Amino acid sequence: MSDHTPAEILGSHPFTADLSDEDRAQLAKLARLGVYDPDDYLLREGQPATAFYLIVEGLVSIELFIPGHGPRPLQTVEGGSAVGWSWMLAPSRWEFDARALERTTALILDGERLRDLFVEDCCLGLRIAHRLLFVVAERLKAARLQLLDLYGPPREL
Amino acid sequence: MSQLSVLDSRDLPELLVALQRYGYRVVGPTRRDGAIVYDELVSAADLPIGWTDEQEAGHYRLKRREDDAVFAYAVGPHSWKRFLHPSPLILWRARRTAVGVSIETPTEELPRLALFGVRSCDLHAIAVLDRVLRGGPFVDPYYAERRSRVFVVAINCGHFSPSTCFCVSMGTGPKATFGFDLALTEVLEPGRHAFVVEVGTEEGAEVLRQVPHRTAEPWERAAAEHVVKRTAARMGRRLETAGLKEALYANLEHPRWDDVAQRCLTCGNCTMVCPTCFCFTVEDRTDLTGTVTERVRRLDVCFTTEFTYTAGKPLRQSARSRYRQWLTHKLGSWGDQFGVSGCVGCGRCITWCPVGIDMTEEAAAIRSPSEPGERTR
Amino acid sequence: MREPSSAPPPGANPYIPVPFRVSGRRRETADTVTLRLRSPTGDSLPFKPGQFMMLYVFGVGEVPISVSGRPRRADILEHTVRAVGPVTRRLAALRRGDWVGVRGPFGQGWPLALAEGFDVLLVAGGLGLAPLRSALLQILAQRDRYRRVTVLYGARSPADLLYRLDLTRWQQRPDLELRVTVDRADERWRGQIGVVPALIAQVERQFEPTRTVALVCGPEVMMRFTVRELQKRGVPDDLIYLSLERNMKCALGLCGHCQFGPAFICKDGPVMPFSRLAPFSEIREL
Ligand SMILES: Cc1cc2nc3c(=O)[nH]c(=O)nc-3n(C[C@H](O)[C@H](O)[C@H](O)COP(=O)(O)OP(=O)(O)OC[C@H]3O[C@@H](n4cnc5c(N)ncnc54)[C@H](O)[C@@H]3O)c2cc1C
Ligand code: SF4
Ligand code: SF4
Ligand code: FES
Repeated sequence: MSDHTPAEILGSHPFTADLSDEDRAQLAKLARLGVYDPDDYLLREGQPATAFYLIVEGLVSIELFIPGHGPRPLQTVEGGSAVGWSWMLAPSRWEFDARALERTTALILDGERLRDLFVEDCCLGLRIAHRLLFVVAERLKAARLQLLDLYGPPREL
Repeated sequence: MSQLSVLDSRDLPELLVALQRYGYRVVGPTRRDGAIVYDELVSAADLPIGWTDEQEAGHYRLKRREDDAVFAYAVGPHSWKRFLHPSPLILWRARRTAVGVSIETPTEELPRLALFGVRSCDLHAIAVLDRVLRGGPFVDPYYAERRSRVFVVAINCGHFSPSTCFCVSMGTGPKATFGFDLALTEVLEPGRHAFVVEVGTEEGAEVLRQVPHRTAEPWERAAAEHVVKRTAARMGRRLETAGLKEALYANLEHPRWDDVAQRCLTCGNCTMVCPTCFCFTVEDRTDLTGTVTERVRRLDVCFTTEFTYTAGKPLRQSARSRYRQWLTHKLGSWGDQFGVSGCVGCGRCITWCPVGIDMTEEAAAIRSPSEPGERTR
Repeated sequence: MREPSSAPPPGANPYIPVPFRVSGRRRETADTVTLRLRSPTGDSLPFKPGQFMMLYVFGVGEVPISVSGRPRRADILEHTVRAVGPVTRRLAALRRGDWVGVRGPFGQGWPLALAEGFDVLLVAGGLGLAPLRSALLQILAQRDRYRRVTVLYGARSPADLLYRLDLTRWQQRPDLELRVTVDRADERWRGQIGVVPALIAQVERQFEPTRTVALVCGPEVMMRFTVRELQKRGVPDDLIYLSLERNMKCALGLCGHCQFGPAFICKDGPVMPFSRLAPFSEIREL
């Protein structure tokens, strides 16, 4: 995958595949490719949230560092999904770590330029916000289900 | 109509004697603790002669009559399931041995029972139990064995309980039309007290031959016919059964369930008196040494939370859901499961409900549209 | 209504268990073991994946437990038991040679004949993998009868994963797509963390919705969310099969405990198409 251009990747990534060619061309201008080895961090808690990550291939762990325990993975994100929405709420900082568990390729879109683009083209902004809301909702749903500890001992349910 | 005979009331004791001579243990109505229950009848003197009952929702009382009527009461708290589907019942005993475990079913010889004074609703109830306990892919051998040995003396209803009986609307009475060896109609008029007898089986005919009787005169046949017609005509209480199952399924979230749940004590009396409620649970009873254990079955009550205990929690926690299960099972899903209604209209659950909940009234309310703005869940 | 799959021989007393002995035992997790049972007299109880047995512990009681083993060896029963209460605790503590009573098999199994020529999606949560393992072993033994086969499995944590040896083997098969996720893990876990319904999005290109049979078993909430994900992608309700759990005292359709609306889960289930459950699926405490 890493030998594809950003435009090609946007054309096949589930997050953007069904946008118009025009929209994707706009986004491609703000995108670059990142390749991560296992245990590389895509982003770290506390750093400025400046980019949006479309995971192309690999597996990324969203986690929190707990002093005395080390990193505590909370959810994982697979190729085909997206990581990071804090850039949209700028100025803000990442609240979790994202660490590659496998060799991972991501398309990195510049957050500030994305926001500028959305001001110019509100319709595109809405389309992206809508997709992002979908990702957030799925992730929240999963987190809620995880919270239930469905497979725990019956009495604790 | 088949051949009818007449048995003078003086000769009724002979019928019991004949049954006993044929090896039957006769069980039927007898008076105990202020109610007419079913138990062994040693002789006709054990019958509640000259007694009647007064029944209403949540109310039951015996009263003395002026005459010597034998069957002038409606059904009481017992039903025939106590003989056919008894509880508790030992299913089997297991013993640890040197080589493993040996399992034996109880070997006691079962008495052959003559059920004496079975009303039409209860004949239908037995037919319902037949479908449930011996009509499916798995036959309950304990029920099947008891059932195959019974002799049935039915009684056509000349007396009924106006505030609780609703067999007519259920198509289950008041006249016995099947499932009996002999069926009696009590004809009690000034100066005359006799039983018109219909023979249902060859065995019934044989027993009857042992008892003084004669062929019924046309007017006696008419009198017997009149007894059940009068009962049918007077029975006011009814349950509308057309489309009832669909209505219940469509109204599983009806606010009336909350309403009845406020009143219901979930005591389970209704299931215990019901002649068709068959649910049971099973437990192990182990001796102190731990080498012998008995697998014991007891009738169970769907009004308890334990009934649906699954994976650490009861599935039906609210009283609402448990009453709903009972009523929709009786009047709805039973039809899908067994092709008949689970209710035969005997009215026992109405009489014996301590707070007088009347299932016909609940069913009618649930099928009526809920008021707009009423709470639904 | 489907035919009873295990009509008893006439005259047999269906309440009497058949004696078996524990012939093998494998610890799966802290509270779960897989027992291998054999009849000392060589009796076999031919079963279908998805069916269950009533396992009886002398003097303690009897509980429904799914078959989790390979159907081709009907003289060997495999059951995976999680110790949660009096009976299952005793079952899980049984040792080689111990006596256990077995009645069964009971109920409707997975629709493996119907699934022939279809993509098959097996979705398991927690102990729900036990009945699905039996189905999967059968499918893999006749792999050419099915199109793409996908297994999605969610567990509480890496330590709670069942059948590790099988998982490794299945992972290596080219003709099987296996995805495993856990609810929680520490940093040593290199796999997915998340919930099973979310895995469906990851494999949506591996099945053609209208030519897919989905077999789902797990806690009710997990099944509910899984059904929604399948429906969203166009898998028809009558091709989504769930295995349900209810209190069971007889497994014969006689004790009344396992009712769910008009169904007796012991004989009409435990495996049922969602199309039959749908009319009642939104009713709470049914
Ligand atoms: C079709 C079916 C297949 C099953 N397959 C498996 C399996 O493969 N492995 C496994 O470990 N468990 C399985 N179970 C669940 C297992 O039957 C219960 O864990 C077990 O009944 C609990 O009994 P207990 O005495 O140990 O615990 P308790 O929780 O004390 O149970 C008390 C009683 O409640 C009832 N009960 C409690 N939980 C359940 C339940 N989840 N399902 C049904 N009845 C319950 C039983 O009647 C039990 O005797 C299955 C259940 C069903 C209905
Ligand atoms: S539900 Fe009530 S009226 Fe109907 S058969 Fe049972 S006890 Fe009689
Ligand atoms: S309806 Fe009446 S008899 Fe039945 S459980 Fe409720 S209170 Fe008891
Ligand atoms: S378990 Fe007894 S009826 Fe289903």
